Amino acid sequence: MSSNPPRIICFMCNWAFCEEEMCIPYNVDVIRVMCVGRMDPALVLETFLKGAEGVMLVGCKPPDCHFVDGNLHAERAVKMLKKLLVLAGLEPERLKLMLISPLEDRDFGQYAKEFSEEVWRLRDSPLKREDIIINLTAAKEATSAFRLRVLLGREEELTEFMNAYGEKIPEEEFNALLDDIVKAEFIRYKIHYLTRIKPRSVKELAQILGIKPSAVLRHITNMRRKGMIALDRVEGYTPLYKALEVR
Amino acid sequence: MTEKTLQIRKLPPCRAACPAHVNVQAYVALIQRGKFKEAVEVIRKDLPFPAICGRVCFSPCEDACARVNLDQAVAIRALKRLVADIEREQGRVIAQPVPKKYSEKVAIIGGGPAGLTAAYELAKLGYPVTVFERMDEPGGMMRYCIPDFRLEKFVVANEIAYIKDLGVEIKTGVEFGRDITLESLKNEGYKAIFIAIGTQVGMKLNVPGEDLEGVINAVDFLRAIALGKKIVIGEKVAVIGGGNTAIDAARTAKKHGAKEVMILYRRSREEMPALPHEVELAEKDGIKFYFLVTPKQIIGENGKVKAVECLRMRLGEPDESGRRRPIPIAFSEHQYEVDMVIPALGQLVETSVLPPGLLSKEKRGPPLQVDPLTLETNIPGVFAGGDVATGPASIIEAVAAGKRAAVSIHRYLRGEDLRKDREEAIEETTWVKDWRLLEKKERRYESPIEKPHLSFEEARAYLEKLKRQARFEAFRCLGCGPCAECLASMDLCEGDKAVVDEGKCVGCNVCVVVCPVGAIKKNEKGVAQVNEDVCKGCGLCAARCPEQAISMKKLSNEQILDMVLTALAR
Repeated sequence: MSSNPPRIICFMCNWAFCEEEMCIPYNVDVIRVMCVGRMDPALVLETFLKGAEGVMLVGCKPPDCHFVDGNLHAERAVKMLKKLLVLAGLEPERLKLMLISPLEDRDFGQYAKEFSEEVWRLRDSPLKREDIIINLTAAKEATSAFRLRVLLGREEELTEFMNAYGEKIPEEEFNALLDDIVKAEFIRYKIHYLTRIKPRSVKELAQILGIKPSAVLRHITNMRRKGMIALDRVEGYTPLYKALEVR
Repeated sequence: MTEKTLQIRKLPPCRAACPAHVNVQAYVALIQRGKFKEAVEVIRKDLPFPAICGRVCFSPCEDACARVNLDQAVAIRALKRLVADIEREQGRVIAQPVPKKYSEKVAIIGGGPAGLTAAYELAKLGYPVTVFERMDEPGGMMRYCIPDFRLEKFVVANEIAYIKDLGVEIKTGVEFGRDITLESLKNEGYKAIFIAIGTQVGMKLNVPGEDLEGVINAVDFLRAIALGKKIVIGEKVAVIGGGNTAIDAARTAKKHGAKEVMILYRRSREEMPALPHEVELAEKDGIKFYFLVTPKQIIGENGKVKAVECLRMRLGEPDESGRRRPIPIAFSEHQYEVDMVIPALGQLVETSVLPPGLLSKEKRGPPLQVDPLTLETNIPGVFAGGDVATGPASIIEAVAAGKRAAVSIHRYLRGEDLRKDREEAIEETTWVKDWRLLEKKERRYESPIEKPHLSFEEARAYLEKLKRQARFEAFRCLGCGPCAECLASMDLCEGDKAVVDEGKCVGCNVCVVVCPVGAIKKNEKGVAQVNEDVCKGCGLCAARCPEQAISMKKLSNEQILDMVLTALAR
C-alpha cells in the first residue's frame, strides 16, 4: 500500500450530480461528459496509460438516462473493459461504473472516497511496469479497432432484437462470443505492438504471450490477411514478422 | 403574388403546446441542476406569472409531454409552482425598473392577465405604460374569479408587484367608457391603446324564473365573495354548467356554508371542459354531479327560488367544437329542490363600454373583431386581445395575446411592418419517435411533487423535501428539443453536434442503432448523416463508431484526453 492516495479520474455524466453540491476528495478529478455512455472505451484505457490509478464512471440509474439508454451502453462498455483489464494484468476493480439515482441521499463525495479507498487497498500501482504498459496499449488499440467496437455497438441489437438473418442471439452465447473476440483482438494487437518494436518470430512471440506457437501463427495469418502485419525477412529458417501501419 | 415568409420555429412539444411558448425545457433543465432561481428567471422571460400559472394553468405542456409514451408526463406545472414558491420564500424579488428608452406612452385598458402581460412586455422594451383597471385591485379574473383556495390573493398581488417594479403604472378604479374613452386617452398623449377588458358579464340561462331571488351568476357570485361582500348562500345550491368556473363556484359555495351543492351539466363527464383534477377535488368536497340535464325553468315561491325543473338529455352527433351535441328528451321533466341557482355557462364581453366604432357589424361571432395575427382593430393604434377578442379562455392564452399585442404595439410605434415575419409555423421536435427502446421500461414511481392544491403554508413545510424531489421529477424530462436554450453556463451543453467524416464511414449502421435520438440516418451512398436539428450532442455515436469516423464538434475525444492530462498533471 502506497502512502499517497491514488490518483483517480472520474468521468461524470453532465446530468448526474449538481456540481455545487459535491464535495470532491482531493485525489479525485471530475471530468464532465455529456453522458457516461459517451466515454469511448479507448479513452478509458488511455486514461490508465496516462497514469490514473483508478477510473470512475458516474452515470444515472436506469431507466433514467437523459439519452434513453446511454447508461446501458456504458454498462456494456465497462463489461468489455473489465475483461480487457484482466487480460492486461490489471485489477478490474480499478475501473468502476456507478449508476446513481439523483434522488439518493448520499453525496458523491462518499462514493468517491469509498472508491479511492478500494483502489488504495489494492497493491501498489503496477502501471509503471513495462509489460503492463504494453498490455494496456494493446488493449487500447484493440478497443479502437473495428471488430470490438462493432460488437459493442451492436450488442443490444443482437441480443434483444435480431441480426440480419432474423436470429436473436442469447445473452450467454453473445458473452462467450465477446470473450473470444476480446481475447483474440487483445492478442493480435499485442502481437502488433511487439512486432512494431522489432521484427519477431512466431516462437518468440509465443514465448512472450505465453500461448502455443500454433495459436500465434493462426493470429498472424489472420493479421496478414487484414494487412496488419507482413513478413519482414527470414533468418535461417525462421520467418520474422513486422507490423504494418494500421490505417 | 408575394411569397409569404413563414418562420419555422423548432420547439419541443411542451413549448409548442404552450400558447405563450414558455421555455419549459429550459427551466426543467435548470431545476434538474438545482438552479431554482435561474429557472424562475427563464420562466419570467415569457411569462410574468410563474406562481399563478404554477397553480391554476391548465398545463397544455403536460398534455403534450413526450414522456407520456414512456410512463407519464413530467409534472411541469408543479415544478413551476415550486420554483416560484421557493423564490418567494426567500423574500419577494424586486425587479430593477427598466429605463424608459422611448417616449411614446401606451395605455392598457384592463388589468387582467392579457393587459398586465402586454404592460410587462412593453415596459421591458422601455415604454412608459399605464394600465387602467376598473376594480380596486388589478389582476382581473385571476384576482376576482379564481377562489382563494385555488389561488391565493397575495400570490397575485406579488406577481403584479413585480410588474409594477419594472415601471408600469397601474391606475385602479378607472372605468373605460365612463372615466376614460379612446378620445380622452389620445388627448392625454397616449400613442397606442390595448383593450383587454376581458369578458365580465355572465351568460344568461334564458329560462323563465331567472330574475328570482337566489339566482346569481357564477362570475358575480365569485366576485362578491372575493370582494368580501355579504351574500346569502342557500342551503341547497345548484350550479349550472361544466366549466372551471362552475366547479369554482360550487366549491366556493360549499366552503361558505352551503349544505348541499350539485352541479348540473347538460353533457356527460367526458365532455366537461373543467380540468379533470378539479372535478376530482370537487367530488372530494362532496359536490354532487348530475350529468345530461338542462334547466327548463326555475320555480319560485314568494319571489325566491324553490326548485329547478330540468330536462334529461341524450348525446347526439358531435358539433363544431368536437363534443357531442346534447338533445333534450321530451317529457323528461323532473325537479331538484334548491334555494340557490348559480348559472355558470360562460361569459360575454361587456359591449356597452366599448366604443360603437369598434364593434363588429355581424350578429354571430365575437363582438370585437381583431386581426388574429397582429390584434389590430379597425382603428389605427388601437389593439385588442385576450378574452375580449377570443371569448373566455385561459390565463396562459391571455398571456399569449398580451405578448402578441406588445410586439404589435412596439412595431406600430416604431413604424415597422406589423405583419412581417409574424406568421410562424411551429415544428415539434419530438425526437423520441422510435419508442422501440422505450417500450420495455415501465413507470415505477408516482410523481412525488404533484400535489396540486396545497396552500402556500402547507407547501412551505414541504419545500426542503420537495427541492430534491423536484430535481428528480425534472430529471425525467427527456429533453425533446435539440437544445434547451436555458442559457445556463453549461459549457458542455452549448449545442455539441456529431460530425461524420465521410471518407472514413463504412456504413456499418452502428451509429444509427446507438443514437438515442434517431438523428443519424444513412444517405443513399450508405454514408451516415447527422441531422443537426435533432442531434443532442450526447456523443454516444462517437464513442461507438467502429471506424472512429464520428467526432464531436465541442467535446471531442482529444479534448477529453486533454482534460485528463491536465487533471493528472495537477
